[in-house]
Amino acid sequence: MLQIKNLTKVYPDGTVALKNVSFEVPDGEFLIVIGLSGSGKSTLLRCINRLINPTEGEIIWNGIDLSKLEGEDLRKARRKIGMIFQNFNLVKRSSVFSNVMSGRLGYSRTIPSMFGQFSKDDIEMGRKVVERLGITSQMHKRADELSGGQQQRVGIARALMQEPELILADEPVASLDPVLAHSILKTLETLNQEDGLTVICSLHYLDLVQRYGTSVVGLREGEVVYRGSREDVRKMTDEQFKEIYGAEAERVGASIEGSVKG
Amino acid sequence: MQSRKVISKPQKESLVSPVIAAILSAIIPGLGQILARVVNRGLIILASFVTSLGLLIWRIATEGSRYTGWRTVVSKAYKLNPFLYAITALMVITYIYGIVDAYLTARPGAKKSKAIGMIFLIILVFFMQGWEIGQIDMGALFRDADEAVPALSKVVWPWEKAISYPEEYRTTIIDVQTPCTDVPFPAGEIKTDEPYLIADPTCGVPSVVEVSQGTEFHVVGGNFVPGKPVEFWWKDSANREFHHRVDGDYLIVTPDKDGSFEVSVIMPYRTLTAAAEEGVKVWQIQARQLISVGKAEFSEELKLAVEKMIETIFIGMMATFFGIILAIPVSFIAARNLMSHSPVTMAIYYLVRTILNIIRSIEPLIWAIIAVIVVGLGPFAGILALTLHSLAALAKLYSEAIESIDSGQIEAIQATGANWFQVVSHAVIPQIIPPFVSFTIYRWDINIRMSTVIGFVGGGGIGYLLAQWIRILDYRSAGIAVWFIAITVAILDFVSADIRERFV
Ligand SMILES: Nc1ncnc2c1ncn2[C@@H]1O[C@H](COP(=O)(O)OP(=O)(O)O)[C@@H](O)[C@H]1O
Ligand SMILES: [Mg+2]
Repeated sequence: MLQIKNLTKVYPDGTVALKNVSFEVPDGEFLIVIGLSGSGKSTLLRCINRLINPTEGEIIWNGIDLSKLEGEDLRKARRKIGMIFQNFNLVKRSSVFSNVMSGRLGYSRTIPSMFGQFSKDDIEMGRKVVERLGITSQMHKRADELSGGQQQRVGIARALMQEPELILADEPVASLDPVLAHSILKTLETLNQEDGLTVICSLHYLDLVQRYGTSVVGLREGEVVYRGSREDVRKMTDEQFKEIYGAEAERVGASIEGSVKG
Repeated sequence: MQSRKVISKPQKESLVSPVIAAILSAIIPGLGQILARVVNRGLIILASFVTSLGLLIWRIATEGSRYTGWRTVVSKAYKLNPFLYAITALMVITYIYGIVDAYLTARPGAKKSKAIGMIFLIILVFFMQGWEIGQIDMGALFRDADEAVPALSKVVWPWEKAISYPEEYRTTIIDVQTPCTDVPFPAGEIKTDEPYLIADPTCGVPSVVEVSQGTEFHVVGGNFVPGKPVEFWWKDSANREFHHRVDGDYLIVTPDKDGSFEVSVIMPYRTLTAAAEEGVKVWQIQARQLISVGKAEFSEELKLAVEKMIETIFIGMMATFFGIILAIPVSFIAARNLMSHSPVTMAIYYLVRTILNIIRSIEPLIWAIIAVIVVGLGPFAGILALTLHSLAALAKLYSEAIESIDSGQIEAIQATGANWFQVVSHAVIPQIIPPFVSFTIYRWDINIRMSTVIGFVGGGGIGYLLAQWIRILDYRSAGIAVWFIAITVAILDFVSADIRERFV
């Protein structure tokens, strides 16, 4: 269970990116965060794993307030939270496998890992994860040689190496075409349903939200303006969606069936 | 017509009438155009006119500098350099064209023309002035070509000088007796397989200062190396050796194609007192010839060139090495993204950047001259100069590599729970190593090229040698140096391109 309580983030330049945000995410949820560009989605996700420090509020996860953690404790907590990015944020010049293995850094001894040495078990685990995501044949390529969809799979593999309980996905499919978008989200859905990982994912497209979300949080100008269950989301019309979301909302336009093959 | 009107912008109405504009342009070129509201064109005409007139006056003054009175100076200048006529004529044409252009543009309702003709004329004026100031003389390329060819061919193919044969003096002797006695002194004998001398007569008396000339010996030599000079020496009874002279010059004889020669030598003065040489003594006539012995070996010049080439490569290498070591820390304080958090660090950033830019904008050759003044001639001066320049160039490139680090990659690694060291090793280093390596190799390449010429100003390396050889007109040796430089640079090009390709 993740509880966000009165979370506020004010950037040094005075921008109030989050205002008193509170909601709960039960374990096993596929929570989708929607909102206009600039509404605070990234800020919210980054506060959770503390890539940025919240100004006020609490982030209680499994009874621990993440917002107060420092140093070793923070790193221990981060290990259990995988993150996936819109731009994949792979280390471009490193190989796919070394990118995947970097998800294991939090569990590895500093000095050997600095030189790319990982334990046998970790390497075995890396192989399995790579296989599960279907990127085995790309393993030894440089990360930036892969297509966008493949890179995002590497990003997911890296997160999985952390043996996470929670996955934060910040617009994971915004740089991908609709077919690939479905394929990536299906992967996340599988992780959510089969492995029981909690997923918090920000998205732009209503049909994707309806298809994958088990619950939705709508943000506007840093405030929660919508909170809905799976059923609420299914019933949502384009007009409602646009109201919360803003005019930018649109349907992705590719059938889910099409994505199964892709 | 109709469509043109639509496309071309209607011109702004001129402030003056066409005639006034023409007159104004006659007084000050371009003024008419300015008042006809084609201000840019007017300014360009004015600036070009002032500049080219200034250049013309300067050239006239230089050409006629030995004369006084401006009339004389001008007339002499044109006489000495008729090219100035052409320039002046063209400037007059341009001037008149400017007046006409002013008239045309000031006409009411005139179309905005592009003034291509004007621009062409102005460019032509500057081109001709450049030709004159640059003392461009195409004839010089061919005039002395026949003299340049032998020198250049030596540079192009210098390898005769790359090998040499060790040489040694071979001394062939014949004894003569002084004075003559009743017993005839034996003459030398003809040998078949080694050089020999035969003297006739076989005895005689030395010269005596201001009294008498010594005996003249007719010496025949055989089996010497054809074409190689032979010098003559005497050895007296006390084993003192002295070079034979004729009227103060050393006697040199060149054997014919059979290796034979004939020569007359007059027995020289004694260096001992006559008393010391009392009795019958034996002197020796020696014929010494410098001959090649043993196998061909690399010439001194070649060895020197190799040594200096090695020195050159190491100058470049050391400079690169020191450059890297110094540039790395400097690059961090020259990286905007690392220094932008406070006004103080920002001030340091600007200061460092400015200093680096100044150092970089001064050519390494000039730094080498300065370094020679400070530490004296030699490789160290070259290393210093190149180090300084590399430091500035590398620090700039490195800092740009640091500035372009993608923070997303760093965040992604942080998000996995990695600690600081792991973030550096997995997200920062992989991003900066490739550009660092690439820039460093590139710099190494430049440094070795530079170190080949840094010797011209005394900075050590092969350039120093090359400059000296050119100065003493030893084109063959210079050619060897040039070849070494070319080969080294070519290899370097290949290697550095290859290494860089792997990293980028
Ligand atoms: N580092 C930052 N410094 C200042 N303001 C920021 C920073 N990052 C984001 N913001 C601002 O915070 C607000 C929320 O941004 P963000 O969380 O990126 O929104 P979203 O991900 O929904 O597009 C925006 O107004 C944005 O301009
Ligand atoms: Mg965002």
